[in-house]
This record gives sequence, C-alpha cells and structure tokens, in this order.
Amino acid sequence: MNRNTVSERPFLELKNVTKIYNTFAGTIEALKDVSLKIHIGELIALVGPSGSGKTTLLNIMGALDRPTQGEVWFEGTRIDILSEKQLVDFRRHKFSFILQDARPLRMLNVLENTLLPFYFFKPQSSKNIKEEAIEIIKSLGLGHRIYHMPNQLSGGENQRVAIARALITKPSIILADEPTANLDRENRLFVIKTFKRLTEEKGITVVVSTHDLEIANFADKIVYLKDGVLLKISTQSVPSEDRTSP
Amino acid sequence: MDILSLAIKDILRRKGKSIYILIAVVIPVAILSTIISTIRNADTTLSNLASKFGFTIMIQPKSISADRIDQLGVVVDEYISEASIVTVKDIIMRILQNNRDPIIIAPRLYIKTEIDTKNSRTTSILAGIDFKAELDARPSWNLLEGRWPERDYEAVVGKTLARALKLSLEEYVTINNKEFNIVGILKEHNSPEDQMVFTFLRTAQQIFGKIGLVSVINLQNVLLDRDDSLLRSAVEDLNRGIPNIKAILPRQFSTMKYIMLKKTFKFLITIVIATVIFSIFSLFNIVTSSLYSRIREIGLLKLSGASWLQLFKLFFYEYLFMGLAGGILGYSIGILMSYLLDSFLLKIGSEIRLNIVLFAITLFIGILCSLLASYYPTYKFSKKKITETFRTQWEV
Repeated sequence: MNRNTVSERPFLELKNVTKIYNTFAGTIEALKDVSLKIHIGELIALVGPSGSGKTTLLNIMGALDRPTQGEVWFEGTRIDILSEKQLVDFRRHKFSFILQDARPLRMLNVLENTLLPFYFFKPQSSKNIKEEAIEIIKSLGLGHRIYHMPNQLSGGENQRVAIARALITKPSIILADEPTANLDRENRLFVIKTFKRLTEEKGITVVVSTHDLEIANFADKIVYLKDGVLLKISTQSVPSEDRTSP
Repeated sequence: MDILSLAIKDILRRKGKSIYILIAVVIPVAILSTIISTIRNADTTLSNLASKFGFTIMIQPKSISADRIDQLGVVVDEYISEASIVTVKDIIMRILQNNRDPIIIAPRLYIKTEIDTKNSRTTSILAGIDFKAELDARPSWNLLEGRWPERDYEAVVGKTLARALKLSLEEYVTINNKEFNIVGILKEHNSPEDQMVFTFLRTAQQIFGKIGLVSVINLQNVLLDRDDSLLRSAVEDLNRGIPNIKAILPRQFSTMKYIMLKKTFKFLITIVIATVIFSIFSLFNIVTSSLYSRIREIGLLKLSGASWLQLFKLFFYEYLFMGLAGGILGYSIGILMSYLLDSFLLKIGSEIRLNIVLFAITLFIGILCSLLASYYPTYKFSKKKITETFRTQWEV
C-alpha cells in the first residue's frame, strides 16, 4: 500500500478529548478538547515542546490511558470505555508501542526480545514465527546480532530490536513515543525511514511523537501541540530555517 | 515459549537479585532444619542412652518381704506366673494402640545358689534369661570376651564374679549339681549383674524345678519411655489387670529427660516461628524493592500483551522457584549446621541423618515464606497501569 491508497474513512478518531490529572499541587489539564482523525497507512508526527501533551495524546490513542472527557474510536469501536481485559486483546493484535527508552529486556537475547509478545499469547499466523522474527531482525540490519544480549548492542540497535518486537504481531498501528530522542542522526534517519517504509509497503499506520522537525518532515501529517492544545495539523514539510518550534 | 520458561530465564539471568531473595528464604529454613535435626539427633541419642540403662517397666511379685531381696538387690524366692506375660503384652498393646515401636518383654528367673569351680565356691545369683530379648532391649550389654550361650548348660558370668572365682573361658562351674560351660564374660557395668551367672531361662527353671515361674518381667518400649502420661497409665493398668504383681518404673530419669527435651523443643520451635515471621517481613521488603526496580520491565511486558494475571503468574513462578531452591539449600545447610554444632558444641554423638519428612517440611516452609512474602507486592505491581510504570525512572 502507498499513500495514494490511504482510506478516507478515519480508523482512529479522537473526539473532543480532554485529559485532566489531579495532583497534590492541583489539577493539570494535559489535553484540551483535542479532535483528530487518523487514516490507515498514514505516518503522523506529533510535535511540540516538552509538556505540550504529546505523550498523553499517544497514551490515549493507544488506550493506555482514558480521557477525562471526549471519545476515542478505533475501527468503529469506542475504545476509551472498554474493559481492561478487552484492551489487553486490542494491545495484542492491533497496537504496538515503541518508547523513547526502548531498552529490550536484558535477560533475553535479540530474537527472544522480538518474540516477547508470544510468551503471552499465540501468534495469529500459522507460519513459523521464529523464522518470521529472524526475517524482521535481518530486515532491520541486525542479522549478525540475532543471539546477542541487549548489553552487547548500541542504542540504535536496541531501538531496532524494539521496532522488531513492535512488528512481529503485525499491528494495525504503531505508536512511538520519541523513538529517536537518544539516537545519533544516522540511527534517527534509519528509524524514521523504516516507519515510512512500513506505512507505504505494509499499510501500517505510525504515530510518532518527536521534538525533531527533521524527523517530523517525513510524516504525512504533522500535528502541532502546545500546552495541551492542538494548534494545527499540517501536511506541509517544515522549512529548514523554521525547524526550532511549531 | 511460555510464561514458565520466561520465569526461568529471568531467574537464571538475574543472578544478583535472585541471590538476595534466596538468602532471605534460606535463613529461616536453615534455622528450622538445624533445630529440628539437632532435636531429632538428641532424641535418638537419648533413646539409645536410655536403652543402655535398663527397662521401661519392671513387673515383680506384689508382696516382697525384706528377706526376699538379695544383697544384690534382686528378688529371690518370690515368683510370678510366666503366663502373665501374655496379659502384660495385651495390656501394653491396648495402651500403645497403633504405635509400631517394638514391645520387648524379657522375663528373668533369679535363683540364689552355690557356685562351685575346681578351686573355690561362692554364693551368688543365677539368672535365667531370654538372651534375645535382653540383647534387643539393651544393645550396650556387651561381652568382654567369648560369645553368648547357644546351647543348654552354657552360661556367661559377670566380670566381678569371674575375677573372684578366677574363671576363664571354656571352664566349667557346677550349679545345683549341673555343669555349666562358661562361654563368655560380660563387660563390667558397675551393676549387680557384674556378680551374676546368666543362662537360658528354660535351663534355670528346669534345674531348680521352677517351670512356669519367673522372678521379674522386664518390659521396654520407646514410646512409653518418651510419654510420661502413657507410661503412668500403663503401670496403673498392669497393676489393676494382673493380680499379685507390682509394676514399677526403674528409670524415671530417662522419662524426665524426655520431658525436658520436649519442653526445649517447644521453646526452639517458638524461636523458629518468630524467625519465619521476621524473614517473611524482610523478604516482603526485598521483593517489593526488586519489583520496583523492574517497573519498566513490567510496563514493557504489559505493552507486549501481558495481562495482569499473566504477570502475576510470571512472578509467582519466579518466587515459587526461589522458595523451592531456598528450601533445598536451607535443608542442606541445616543438616550440616546440626552436624557441626554437635561436633564442636553439643557433643551428643549424632551423625548426618537425611530425613524425608523434615526435607518435605523445610521445602514447604521455604515455598510458604517466599509466596506469602511476595503475594501482595506481586499482586500490586502486576496491577500497575502501564502509564504509571513509565513515569518511574528505574532501570529495566
């Protein structure tokens, strides 16, 4: 699938989402009335300064957190009101998550980390899952690291292991929270190009939060956030001289 | 690929943290194992010691006048029927119910008689006994030289008497016109037996015309040795159930020692219980801090599709294995400690004894400590929301 085949019907939609955290210091409005439509096969970048609500928005999209107000719809199902058990099922088969500090489990090697989800549920595919994992690992340039432990890998390689783990379950959507934050430029570009390839070749939707506008420029849409408010959604790339703030 | 294999990998590849938990399990189990092993050893040793010094119950004729007690302290010229042995056995078996410890009944016939040798004559006691029963009841009753009688008219003599009569092996003594071959000389026990001659009960009964009669019936049973109340009711029942006999307790001291041992055991078990409780609290803290340091791992596992119940199961398996390993290790250390304690401090002469029941108990305690201490933290951390796990900056 390429970007021309992106569906017009949103498959993930946030309607007037507000998220309020109650703390000892008072209430914090992390998201304010955010509405957003995401289509199949899109690469979306969430950009904004620290505290702008990027991670909160990702958490709500991935049903890791529930909005205080508003609705979250995924493939025609309202997911913000599902039970924890139903959400576990969603996470297993529909969503994959990649985090900024995506260090794999240190007691498992690269292959075992990639296969981590299948310690908890059976794969849907009848194909040999181990061979499939090895193919994914090789496609991410880690063919020579299959049986290495995480402490033998660089930061960029560990991030690729996280991507391999995210891909093994064949998710509909990958939610990545600052996946390039701790990487050098070469690895940053590798990660974002991999995401781009996944949207174009496999029709997987990828939502990435980032500070880095060079990375954001690879996205089909850039969502600008500030103080929990969605400022704008842009399909234009950011000019190089304007890459410091939205 | 399943949760169990993940748990095993987790333990094996996280050795440093696993060892802390293991130590917390091993301590109470090792203490328990040490104490129980030591007490068991002491109990066995005391039981052996008690058997060296005599019988549990002695049954003798009811009315004995002073002149019927020989200067050696044994009853002569007063008898009880040998048929009473059956009744004695019935009464004791009823008291002991299903206990499997053997009941040893050793009747004796004491005859005060002249003993002639080639060169001398003296008055002493001929004891007709059941050698097998006597030796079963008193393993320490040993010969200085020679062998035990095997045929009629063979006898063994006490060391003092042998010295007095200048008797040596294979010499003959004459008792009531019958010649007895001396086949063994007893070790000195510093008791009246050192001055007696021992032969088969049947032989003594025949040559003195006392068929069907015995002077005393000695009885030994380990359970009665240990249980004072049971022993007293056995004595009462015997005195009530058999006419013209008097059952007495020849060695109260051993029973007292058992009572002391029991009290000591109770005290030590209280210490063990306190140690177990204390260890559970320590283990609770170790498990909580261990899980706290794994909070990002918990988040990652949940993001990978683990339900809270699967996480709970993962940790349950880990702590179950720790408990199991702690139980085995604690038991082994306990047995070794008990041996070392005895070798260097207690010196009651015990040896390393492996006991399947104690092993099962220590294993159970190890697992119990581990699971009790880890249940709440495991439940709490398994239930953590994913977003909470990633807000905490700890190492995976």
